Amino acid sequence: MYIRTDIKTTAQSEVIAQACQILKAGGILIFPTETTYGAGVDATNQAAVDKLLKYKSRREGKPLSIAVIDQAMAEKYVEVNDAAKRIYERFLPGPVTVVSKSKGVVAQGVASEYGTLGVRIPDYALVMEILKAYGKPITATSANGSGEKRPYSVQDVLDGLSEKQKGLIDLILDAGELPKNPPSTVIDTTLETPVIFRQGNITLEGAADANSATYTSNSEGETQEIAQRIMLKHWEDLKTKGVFIALHGSLGAGKTIFVKGIAQFLNIKETLTSPTYVYMQQYEFNRHEIIGQLHHLDLWRIEHPDMIDRLGIEELLGARQVVAVEWPSLASEALEQLVKKHQVTFITIHIEEKGESRHIKCQTLF
Amino acid sequence: MPNFILAIDTSCDDTSAAVTVGNTVLSNVVASQVELHKEFGGVFPTVAKQAHKERIAPVVQLALKRAGISPSELSAVAVTQGPGLAPALEVGVEFAKTYAADLKLPLIPVNHIEGHILSVLAKPRTSSSATRAVSKKTTTAVPEMSYPCLSLVISGGHTEFVVVHQPGHYERIGWTVDDAAGEALDKFGRMVDLGYPAGPLVEQFAKLGNPRAFAFPLPMTTTDNFLMSFSGLKTSARRKIEELTAVQPLTKQQIIDLCASFQYAVFHAITYKLNKYLLKRYADPSQPPLFGVWLGGGVAANSTLRKMLRKTVQTYNLDLHVPYSKKLCSDNAAMIGVVGAVHLNENTDTSRSTIERKPNWEVGTL
Repeated sequence: MYIRTDIKTTAQSEVIAQACQILKAGGILIFPTETTYGAGVDATNQAAVDKLLKYKSRREGKPLSIAVIDQAMAEKYVEVNDAAKRIYERFLPGPVTVVSKSKGVVAQGVASEYGTLGVRIPDYALVMEILKAYGKPITATSANGSGEKRPYSVQDVLDGLSEKQKGLIDLILDAGELPKNPPSTVIDTTLETPVIFRQGNITLEGAADANSATYTSNSEGETQEIAQRIMLKHWEDLKTKGVFIALHGSLGAGKTIFVKGIAQFLNIKETLTSPTYVYMQQYEFNRHEIIGQLHHLDLWRIEHPDMIDRLGIEELLGARQVVAVEWPSLASEALEQLVKKHQVTFITIHIEEKGESRHIKCQTLF
Repeated sequence: MPNFILAIDTSCDDTSAAVTVGNTVLSNVVASQVELHKEFGGVFPTVAKQAHKERIAPVVQLALKRAGISPSELSAVAVTQGPGLAPALEVGVEFAKTYAADLKLPLIPVNHIEGHILSVLAKPRTSSSATRAVSKKTTTAVPEMSYPCLSLVISGGHTEFVVVHQPGHYERIGWTVDDAAGEALDKFGRMVDLGYPAGPLVEQFAKLGNPRAFAFPLPMTTTDNFLMSFSGLKTSARRKIEELTAVQPLTKQQIIDLCASFQYAVFHAITYKLNKYLLKRYADPSQPPLFGVWLGGGVAANSTLRKMLRKTVQTYNLDLHVPYSKKLCSDNAAMIGVVGAVHLNENTDTSRSTIERKPNWEVGTL
């Protein structure tokens, strides 16, 4: 069972000592921040991270982020590029998570599958003091179980937990009710243009919103990685409603390459080949025990819109179904209506060639 | 009593039915619009489920009529189960199930690629009125070939190298990782405004042009396998065309030279990998020699491809075998019947009501 320490009535030095002792022992610490309550473990301790992943349950590839005291400490764990540096200087400490390329120092399961890692410098004196005393980064994920409501009080945290999850907590630093600030703004700086993956209180001009972003790809591998990240962002939608992706771009722009990226994200092992001749290829996927299908369509050969009805696209829409359509322009409006009717998430991708590289414009319409 | 087989293929655009006995083709009806217009009048749409539903019954009737066979004389029904367009396959499979059940006939599920592979074994009936005179010798699929052979299936939907150890026993050794060879030709053809399907026109134009007028890259030369890729060729063709048209619209000479050069590039990619395979195989004393190279699929009708392949295989003292008619190259049911004869005795179960379409069925697997 956990220890609950009221930080208002306990000497700070004692709180810090207690926290460090728990972290060192691989325990889980529930702590207040300027946003919500967080769940922290030593991010370099594999057993502790595994315990935290068990506590959070069903992460399905979503990365954790880490809290550090300053940029110098961050640089031990991630590659801080110029775009990231500018954000550190302007906004940190504060409610912003900056995503950079991980150096692979933290335990497995903290960084994303794509080797990126989010870094926070919390604007909360007690947490900073604990980090200084401990000297290693701690995970900075919100303290709720996956899918539960945002925790602004210890009661919020406990309400959403099973007895088993509660049993995993070692120490709660109770700061009472926190102001209801939204979670941190998440900015990915590993892409050419910084992209906001989650909007919090901080806004950054010049950064693209992930729901309407343009990425630059310099290789087929990068195009596939961009596709995977877009899919990760829409994973919840994919599970509950399904996702429809309309792919625009000239012959040879890399539309099929993009769909190969989607297939990789979905753990599809078969080689994905062009569906032009047969109009449609189907693949079963199993990602984190979620089973569904990827339907890869190519309308290039179709000359009359009424033929689209005959392909039975409507029957493909639904939860756990990904429908990726190349050359959709012939039936753009009809497809949009259809997708809207079934309340499936609609994403458009425009791939444009710029010399050897590609600009990939991604928009989530609904 | 000869084993007459009714064969059905609805894997993509065409609805086809045939009656075969052993390797002998008694009838082979492919519902290209032209043929059905003649027999039935009316407009038959070209795509997918609805069109197949409308066409399948008359096509089957016509195949029986042309073969001079009544349904009661049939020994089995063979049907394409995959790979292909799912809703299209479904029509053929459902029709065949009902048809076979009504007549209490065994139903043989056939792989479409296996059809293209064995299409070289198909024989025309010896005289037009000889249905009744089919000799007992031809009633079983007795291959007159020695094995192993190497089969190349080159079409709008597939580009595969398959070792045929025996009819029914295959080993897939090479395939395209993106577009099919025929698809590359079709897409290129549309870029130079030759409509769709442009493959046959590209072939005609190519005969008049200079295959060395424009240089296209030879893809996949650094990989030590027999995989092929045609997507990059397509992109480089598009760039070349854009480069040329930036100066002035394409001249007739440029179009025919582009056709010749692009077609050469596509076929060279195939002969390059074929040569690579044969070189490796013949350098390995543990591998038995081949007894021939077979060519099937829609692009197998292309005489330039045949010429280039002949030249390649002659170096190894091998003959190139092609189907007896160009109609056996493109999608058709006669080749499905030939496969059906190979598998006829494997199927003692007469109900087979559990057969479902398999849109991604890889040849040589179950």
